[in-house]
Amino acid sequence: MRKALFLAAVMMASPASAADHPDFSGTWERYPPPGEKVDPRYAPTPIPDPPLKPEYKAEWQANQKKLQQRIEEGQPAGDNYVHCIPDGMPAMMMGMFPMEVFQRPEQINITQEAFTQVRRVYMNQTLPKWDEVDPSFYGASVGHWEGDTLVMETTGIKEDVRFRWTPHSGAMKITERMRLLAPDILSDQITVEDSYLEKPWVYSYSFRRMKDYKLQEYVCEDNREYVSEDGSQHLRIDKK
Amino acid sequence: MRLKTGVRLLVLPLAAATSAVPGSAHHSFAMFDNTRSVTLHGKVTAYQWTNPHSYLEIDAEDGKGGTKHYTMEMTSPNMLHRGGWSSRTVKPGDSVTAVMAPLRDGQPGGLLLELTLPNGTKMLPGVPNAQRYKVTS
Repeated sequence: MRKALFLAAVMMASPASAADHPDFSGTWERYPPPGEKVDPRYAPTPIPDPPLKPEYKAEWQANQKKLQQRIEEGQPAGDNYVHCIPDGMPAMMMGMFPMEVFQRPEQINITQEAFTQVRRVYMNQTLPKWDEVDPSFYGASVGHWEGDTLVMETTGIKEDVRFRWTPHSGAMKITERMRLLAPDILSDQITVEDSYLEKPWVYSYSFRRMKDYKLQEYVCEDNREYVSEDGSQHLRIDKK
Repeated sequence: MRLKTGVRLLVLPLAAATSAVPGSAHHSFAMFDNTRSVTLHGKVTAYQWTNPHSYLEIDAEDGKGGTKHYTMEMTSPNMLHRGGWSSRTVKPGDSVTAVMAPLRDGQPGGLLLELTLPNGTKMLPGVPNAQRYKVTS
């Protein structure tokens, strides 16, 4: 009898607790879109320079100088994109193109239209140790709910998968706090922790729900652009 | 702009989609000369709907009774799609007029800035910061 009561309680509790969580399912675009005045209530937190320790900072600054110069010259910045390679974490959350969230109680998938990048966040599991997973672009992710906030933890990112050219160790950990600021506005606060950093690197993105948008396929199948040794970019012309 | 109103409406969503790229885009388009344009008339030989970029290949009239082959780069299919293009917007054999920013290195190609379809419709391919490209042809 006691067992039956317990089962009944569990059965009642499950749907109720699922309903307690906000539903992020759907398609989202970065907010504010260019040219649109931002509602200050939903403004993302600007991304500061990574708080790198002095031993890593000098090289980063030198690279930033190079990057700035390239941008001014209109040259490619040497990002993954130029080589048709996905961003990986945490860069992929920039949402260059629309993003889709698929939410189930036990798993949440986040897909970026750009390069069809997919993250799989396993709910209520323990984050594996970084040196027990094979390093990858999107890493290993687990999640849990803290009230209305989805907390996602990620580790196991390849050392050469970098955001804004920021070096990191294999032990880098990314913690995200995702919540709705309004029914159609999603916020993702990102905290990067690593031994390369003096303190956590914290910033956020905002996203706005898109009505009736279906994500498109993105397979990088024919990259005709290449960067020559002098750093300039060229196009492979179809010789006929 | 010399565009029909219906087409001009395409500019906004495209510009929005394009400049949504934070910082630098997939690439900078620096290999194209934005100080001048070249207008080509000719027949489409291929329209390639691929990532990271789509391409339009045409045999353009060279003014001497012959043709010369040109390769024109466009943006990505998802951006083109959001701007009203599809994989069937043009097809091989179509007679078109293309305005492009030519490649700086002198190869026969460029960045497609505007395409006039056989039915006269002008299409804009959503070039990032399109206003920075001078149409001189």
